[in-house]
Amino acid sequence: MVFARIWHRLGGRRRRPPTSAQMFRQAQRLRDEGRFEDAAELVADALIREPGSVVGHLLAGSLHMTLRESGQARTSFERVLALEATQPRALLGLARLALEDGEAKTCRDLLSRALARYPDFPEARALLDVARDLAPSADPKRAATPVLVPPAIPVATAARMPAVTTAPTPAATQAPAAKSATLADRLRLPTESREALFMRPDATLVFAEPRGPRTEAVAARAVKLARIATAVLARSGFGPLRHAVIEGAAETTYLRTDDAALLTLAFDRDVTAATAVSHLERVWGSCRSELA
Amino acid sequence: MGQLPLGARVSTAVAARPALGRDLRALLAELMKLEHITGGLVVAPDGLVIAADLPREVEAEPLSALAATLGRELELRGPQLRRGTFPMAQFASVSGTAFLGSTPVGFIVLLGEPQADNDAVRTALRAAVGTVYRAWAR
Repeated sequence: MVFARIWHRLGGRRRRPPTSAQMFRQAQRLRDEGRFEDAAELVADALIREPGSVVGHLLAGSLHMTLRESGQARTSFERVLALEATQPRALLGLARLALEDGEAKTCRDLLSRALARYPDFPEARALLDVARDLAPSADPKRAATPVLVPPAIPVATAARMPAVTTAPTPAATQAPAAKSATLADRLRLPTESREALFMRPDATLVFAEPRGPRTEAVAARAVKLARIATAVLARSGFGPLRHAVIEGAAETTYLRTDDAALLTLAFDRDVTAATAVSHLERVWGSCRSELA
Repeated sequence: MGQLPLGARVSTAVAARPALGRDLRALLAELMKLEHITGGLVVAPDGLVIAADLPREVEAEPLSALAATLGRELELRGPQLRRGTFPMAQFASVSGTAFLGSTPVGFIVLLGEPQADNDAVRTALRAAVGTVYRAWAR
């Protein structure tokens, strides 16, 4: 009987509502166990009790990023910065979201803010190197918007290969489709290829087959991907990107690049890697000859 | 200027349940047994390292930030793709290759020498990704 009373008291004590700090710690544990939704719910509850918690909003931002909820992650990181203007993880989180959105300048600004306060911030420095390398034309958002001034193309190249731009050169305006078809013939694109893109490092399209309203944005994204991959390789102690194979849900994209150009060919998943690579190398050789 | 706050530093090991596909460190250790694989890491989509086994000269923190960025970029390539919907990718230079696989909890990255058997690595990585998917399915 006495034991039961003591047990009841202990139990009663245990039922005391946890503090917000305890809830954040518990959420961190849930996160570490991979129970992201449960962790996010707990953090949301704790933030109702303590809305000014930097730790809480930071954890919420991290969880939203893990759950690929970019908009909510952005809101959480912005709340952190409203509370602590130079919080490095919030600045890094927002910078990564800006880069995802193709906002390279915003990304650079956020990372510069973080590095001004914390110069020894290796993640921010690594990401800034990538964002700094991204030319405005390699910004998928900009590429999706028609530009008024065509990017500069060396005369020798323009004479041989029509650049596919949203504001084409006068020569390209006359008969871009015909010229493109001629080039496609010369390049001998494989019939199995679903999409072929050939571009310069600043994402200026040299050739696209087929070409649609989103082609420029796709090319810009390919260049951005190549930039980030090159940075990953460099940080791994390797040289610059030369080949890539990207498996998608419906197709596989093969990429070939050097310092002067980038080629991507997309194939259905049933095309063997050996066949695709053989096509890629042949078309790459043709493209580089045309560009030379 | 100042030192990064303690909490802003990356934790190098996040506890995972010791179940199949949940113990990501054990999973990475298995992948590290592949021939000519010199390093690997598992990184959350927010860039935090979950597990890492890298050559001494490779810093985990910047690599993890970039790998997560690369993983997200791949996920976002198709507008219809969202959480963990691309199986994997490989990026090669003349001196080595980075393999990347996407899972619900993050990205698995393997670093291989040029002699690495790409097909064998991709097959093993695909199997690992599948194991993680099954283990973390709700």
